[in-house]
Amino acid sequence: MTIMVPRKHGDASDGMVGGRLSRFEGNLKVTGAATYALEYPTEGVVHAVLVQSTIAAGKVVAVDISRASAMPGVLLVLTPEDDLGLRAAGDWAGTAPKDEAYYPLPRNVQFNGQSIAAVIAESREQAAEAARLITVSYEETASVKDLEDPAAGEGKMMGNLTVGWGDAEAALAASDVTIEAEYRTPREYHVAMEPHGLIARWEGDQLTIWEPSQWSHGMARMYAEWFSLPLENVRIISPFIGGGFGSKGQPLAFGAVAVAAAKKLGRPVKLAVTRPQNFTSYGGRAATRQKIALGATKDGILQAIVHRGYSETSVYADYAEQTGAATPVLYKVENYSSEHRIVPVNTVTPGALRGPGKNPSSYGIESAMEELAYALGMDPLELRLKNYADHDYQSGKPWSTRRLREALTEGAAAFGWEKRSHEPRSMRDGNTLIGWGIGCGTFPVIRAPSEAMIRILKNGRVEVVSGSIDMGQGTYTILAQTASEALGVPVDQIDVLLGDSRLPGSAIAGGSMLAGSITGAVHKTAVAARDELIGLALSEAGSPFRDTGANTLSLAAGRVSLPRDDGPSLSLAELMTALGRDTLEIRRNTLSDDAQTAEDQRRAWTTMAKVMGPTMGEFSMHSWCAHFAEVRVDEDFGTVRVSRMVSAFDCGRLYNPKMVESQWRGGIIMGVGQALLEEGIVDARNGRTINNNVGDYLVPTNSDIPDLQVISVGVPDLNASALGGKGVGEVGIVGVAPAIANAVFHATGKRVRDLPITLEKLI
Amino acid sequence: MKDFSYVRATSAEAASQAALQAGAAILAGGTTLLDLAKCGVAAPETVIDITHLPGLSDIIVSADAATIGALARMSEVADHPSIKAAFPAVSESLSLAASAQLRNMATIGGNLLQRTRCPYFRDPGTFPACNKRAPGSGCSALGGVTRNHAVLGTSEHCLATNPGDLAVALVAFDATVSFAGKTVLVEDFYRLPGDTPDKETVLGRGEIITGIAIPASAAAKNSIYLKVRDRQSYEFAAASAAVGFELEADGKTVKDIRVALGGVATKPWRARAVEQALIGKTLSAGTVEKASRLAMEGAVAQGDNAYKIELAPRVVVRAIQQLALKTAMKTGGLA
Amino acid sequence: MTRTIHLNLDINGRAHALDVEPRVTLLDALRDHLQMTGTKKGCDQGQCGACTCHVDGRRVLSCLTLAAQVEGRQVNTIEGIAGEDGTLHAVQAAFLEHDAFQCGYCTPGQIMSAVACIREGHAGSDAEIREYMSGNLCRCGAYNSIVAAVREAAEAVNTPVRETAEVA
Repeated sequence: MTIMVPRKHGDASDGMVGGRLSRFEGNLKVTGAATYALEYPTEGVVHAVLVQSTIAAGKVVAVDISRASAMPGVLLVLTPEDDLGLRAAGDWAGTAPKDEAYYPLPRNVQFNGQSIAAVIAESREQAAEAARLITVSYEETASVKDLEDPAAGEGKMMGNLTVGWGDAEAALAASDVTIEAEYRTPREYHVAMEPHGLIARWEGDQLTIWEPSQWSHGMARMYAEWFSLPLENVRIISPFIGGGFGSKGQPLAFGAVAVAAAKKLGRPVKLAVTRPQNFTSYGGRAATRQKIALGATKDGILQAIVHRGYSETSVYADYAEQTGAATPVLYKVENYSSEHRIVPVNTVTPGALRGPGKNPSSYGIESAMEELAYALGMDPLELRLKNYADHDYQSGKPWSTRRLREALTEGAAAFGWEKRSHEPRSMRDGNTLIGWGIGCGTFPVIRAPSEAMIRILKNGRVEVVSGSIDMGQGTYTILAQTASEALGVPVDQIDVLLGDSRLPGSAIAGGSMLAGSITGAVHKTAVAARDELIGLALSEAGSPFRDTGANTLSLAAGRVSLPRDDGPSLSLAELMTALGRDTLEIRRNTLSDDAQTAEDQRRAWTTMAKVMGPTMGEFSMHSWCAHFAEVRVDEDFGTVRVSRMVSAFDCGRLYNPKMVESQWRGGIIMGVGQALLEEGIVDARNGRTINNNVGDYLVPTNSDIPDLQVISVGVPDLNASALGGKGVGEVGIVGVAPAIANAVFHATGKRVRDLPITLEKLI
Repeated sequence: MKDFSYVRATSAEAASQAALQAGAAILAGGTTLLDLAKCGVAAPETVIDITHLPGLSDIIVSADAATIGALARMSEVADHPSIKAAFPAVSESLSLAASAQLRNMATIGGNLLQRTRCPYFRDPGTFPACNKRAPGSGCSALGGVTRNHAVLGTSEHCLATNPGDLAVALVAFDATVSFAGKTVLVEDFYRLPGDTPDKETVLGRGEIITGIAIPASAAAKNSIYLKVRDRQSYEFAAASAAVGFELEADGKTVKDIRVALGGVATKPWRARAVEQALIGKTLSAGTVEKASRLAMEGAVAQGDNAYKIELAPRVVVRAIQQLALKTAMKTGGLA
Repeated sequence: MTRTIHLNLDINGRAHALDVEPRVTLLDALRDHLQMTGTKKGCDQGQCGACTCHVDGRRVLSCLTLAAQVEGRQVNTIEGIAGEDGTLHAVQAAFLEHDAFQCGYCTPGQIMSAVACIREGHAGSDAEIREYMSGNLCRCGAYNSIVAAVREAAEAVNTPVRETAEVA
């Protein structure tokens, strides 16, 4: 074994905002010392295992628990017979909860794979085996398998998603060139490497939950509502999250079951959702279908877009995967019409998965644009540049910043797009057909207030404290950088504490809204802490600066000194000692001054009530990207491999390019999976997701991914956030699937309009 | 996983004796047994760990044959220089299977006994009907999602694809498997499902595979394993082919050729009709293509898997082409 | 009734005694019985690689290995890779430098796999690294950086320079 002497990389500027500081918590992760939810040692913990339904719809008539209960170690079996005493919780938006009971193990089965019972035993093995011995009798009723099921129908129109301007139908009819096509995306899943689960522990009426969470405060509130507890009695601890991608933003039925079981037993309960159960314990991305018609002049000026979309939802909740989300903002068009319907089917309610709405939407419009380019005989890059949107035609507002043109042109240059041969099937290497395609992506800038605390300790260390989440985006790192820069303290003198609902409130780690929000709060707090410290140094007895006559001091490289540099110079530890302080604690938030009541704060941290969309202000604000993909398709086998990609992004200022590039690549890779591999497969007879494991639901392996070149073309956007960044997490995936689908068309001449593009669709 | 007792076998004989008990299961690499125990498909009372038995892991390659102990790990065989040299298709079939970790665990004997990936077989809680698991209970795959199911060798009782890669290469080159003092061709080791899909091999109760032998041949030395799948790695085959051939002294005429298919049949599938059609012929594109079609004689599509009937012959064609190219380059015969 | 067996396991060069049911996997023994939680459970079905450990120097999946099977063998986990003084292994240092992880959950498995991949001689080219690291899924999508890290670590391991020290 060879051990490397630690190397010093980069320089001091790495610690500043915009520097390439390595992952702040990295050492814990590469040594196995980072502790994830199910890894907290808990005295006396017992293990819960779920039993899920095996029918799509019906009623649980009886649950035979006799064999399970008789198994060694079994402590408790919960079934629909047990009233757990829960009340309904409010939703994300903070809508007041309905005054009704909540049954996390319901009698009415609404989808295959719904949790209907749980076994709690001394050991995981005992609970798992006992769970297998439970037999459930059902009274089955008719079900709807999926969006394409003849019984599914046309669904419900989502009026709030109807968008239109001009007269799209008329303009389409009058267009020289039109195309119309229908595009489909299947159910897709998050497949975070860390499966869901939790440990729940009661101490009196105090509830502690270790659970991977993208939003510790919001989840604490929903648990509190379920169990009729004051919010402050519930604590969610989640400093490390093994990936979320949208799936870990709210508590789920199994969480209620574990907490209820812990209460009944008076012992802590650990519930690990198995990998197969992860496919139905929460929803992935809904399957979608969208019809798009484009009309253009002969020389490629877009005249009309008509879009009609559908997405599946569950039979018990409305969730729209907005197929029209990106459609209206990508191009200049004077006539536009879009509608979206949701179709209830027997599935778990779908949820947000990286780039919700924008992702399938972009697959539709970006595929359609290439179809139009071919109908026109025009280079798809030229068509896109020709129809560049000078402002947001939907809101009528100017863009804050939009460097999509630069993304297209600089991406094209890096890719070598000018060498493209336009005709399909015109590039080959033996049996391999080669194709190039473009896909543009976008994701809105979503802003939310956040709070932060800075603690300066007697030993000179600085703590940045926030309830926000790092699930791999780099929150620890960029907050250390933000505090370091604002305070003038080296980054290695800083500690960052995250992931606990007892800590200051924060935006959700979702919707690409956290980084911009929380850096703003930390920056504001750090500036206040610096001012406070300097104020104390100038005024407090015991401070050597008090009698210097200075009216300000400098704080740089962790030392407080006179601006003139000719007087005392103290480290933070020396100054704290001189001030006779153990700690200096400063807390600030970014709520407006007229919204600082306790109730305002509760709503801000535990609901989405204060979240601001991209056009709530003078501007329309979005991140943008353009992906250029090269695929190699085996002509005989139909197998597609992505051989090269260049992606150019406008995400404003990058707080840490190293972390950002990782996130972009991560989004792109998930997009490769979406384009070529990922599809939840449902058995029509019983609604079962039959590929509910990662050997059958395929995500990309290392071998599937070439070197991905990522380019930043953004400029700071101070309308979007305090420090000038726009969201980076979601936009990376948006546009990847159409870029690949377009490249497959270019390679093969075959247009695949339903993802994923598996081999049988090309042979 | 059902509670079981763990016994570490001290000798092959003791293991065989122990394996005769009801509910006993042999544990080697564990990659199939423990996986299926977790799925609820396997529920052993006693697990007999044979991985510590000495003398069952040797890999011996002579001029006549390779003999490989049943406990040799897939990775050891795949990376063995003499196997690579004399049986490239065997080495490649192993390297292209599973992942590096699984190949370090799984043994050659266990690999031959790996079970199907049919999702209905693997989910007894939801799909009680499975003739492989519960004889006479029916086949849930019939009328279900069959994209990965077999098109060859199926019966009205079972469509489950044999997932093996190694076994395909072994079948192509007339390898034998030894157990309980018997030696049979690997091809005969596997049974067609017929009306007893639960009986996958001719291995009797208490019988333990001790090793395999692959006779050396010019065709085995000049061989290739080609595996086609949607994901570049770590996926079972949509279709695969093991091909080897020997040419006459003229460097053109086929003297001996072996073709076997994976991913499309209920057992590792030797395509003798293809071989017969090519012996004595030159490997021209048209001849190869026409002959490869014969691989699908008797194939029956079950809805979603019809593409395999189109795909598999193309895999055979490509494997022959690639091998021909390799041969030509090796012999300097490339015009 | 539940059977329990007594095991003495050699993990990272230290002896650990534990009483477990025979059906307990090495993965669960590490995580639940020995509080060595660095080894991760991603699928528990041999499909993701997060639980990769070394047994007698070979990388294996601990979710499909019984704890009882490894008695008498040497088990190495992520907790035993760095030096006693906390000095990172070349692979760990390269992962940190190249940002070869995001959420960190697959990381211990990736690192254990990478250490073995280099030792096996399967890190000769980027294509080979990709293939031989394909048994470790990473949903955050750090694959490019993982390849870069393994490549760099392989060079460091294979051509020891002044700043490296052989320790075993």
